[in-house]
Amino acid sequence: MGLIPRETAALVGQRLGAPVSAAIHAHDAERFAYAAGDTNPIYFDDAAARAAGHRTRVVPPGFLVWALEPPRPLEALREDGLWRDAGPPIRLHVSRVLYAGEEWEYRAAVHPGDTITAETRLASLEEKTGGSGPFVLATTETTYTNQANEVVAILRGRRIAR
Amino acid sequence: MSTERYVDDVKPGDALPPLVKNASRAQLFLFSAATHNPHRIHYDRDYAKVEGHEDILVHGPLQGAWLHQFVQDWAGPRGRVLALAFQNRGRAFPERDLVFHGRVSAVDGDVVSLEVWEEDDAGAVLMPGTARVRLRRRAA
Repeated sequence: MGLIPRETAALVGQRLGAPVSAAIHAHDAERFAYAAGDTNPIYFDDAAARAAGHRTRVVPPGFLVWALEPPRPLEALREDGLWRDAGPPIRLHVSRVLYAGEEWEYRAAVHPGDTITAETRLASLEEKTGGSGPFVLATTETTYTNQANEVVAILRGRRIAR
Repeated sequence: MSTERYVDDVKPGDALPPLVKNASRAQLFLFSAATHNPHRIHYDRDYAKVEGHEDILVHGPLQGAWLHQFVQDWAGPRGRVLALAFQNRGRAFPERDLVFHGRVSAVDGDVVSLEVWEEDDAGAVLMPGTARVRLRRRAA
């Protein structure tokens, strides 16, 4: 068990950092949908969204992750362009962290004007051995809650650290 | 994306019509901007080579957004995507066709389970996944 320091292993199940809240802005969500090439009218048009059974237009669920990203100064950039504080704030004996996938539960639609709070905990750390040596599969679980205290989505994000 | 799909018309084994995406470099730049993602592997080809990639890479979350679009479009405007899970298995590059496939694996009441996956232009599976969708029933 060389890659996971003992104090990091002790964080499994614990909350990582303080909860983060942000308002959901229509234009930001539309930019996300356009950048993904997804022009579904439920993301742009209140009437189309109502016809589809929604209160008003909704935002693409994947947008939530970015809506909650804190603004950061240039000094926070690393050489590879990643933010110094990107990824789970945990210490591992690794040199690189790779995006391994996502697992979403969508509980309720998110609308522009909502305020969403995200709370992340370290769900698991698994040390494994693959073709290119040992690695850690780190899973974080983020719960997104709206201003009515309703859970709108749960994201389990997986990263491979080696 | 405008036609409603009813659970009555869905059975295990049904194939979803494939969705083809082919991202330009400008689209990747816009997605980086829309997600405040400055990682150089998505816009700086010289740097991407330093990390061992032959070209800049399509963002994993962009492919995830495409998978969601693929499932939501199939489900129709009244369909509700309840869950979506996917694994990032291989590298996706711009200016190449990326094709999303899916098939119905189970129907349980009004909830349909799907197997979905993304292939590159060589047929390699880049992103396998699963989804659950709630569909309406036709009025009797």
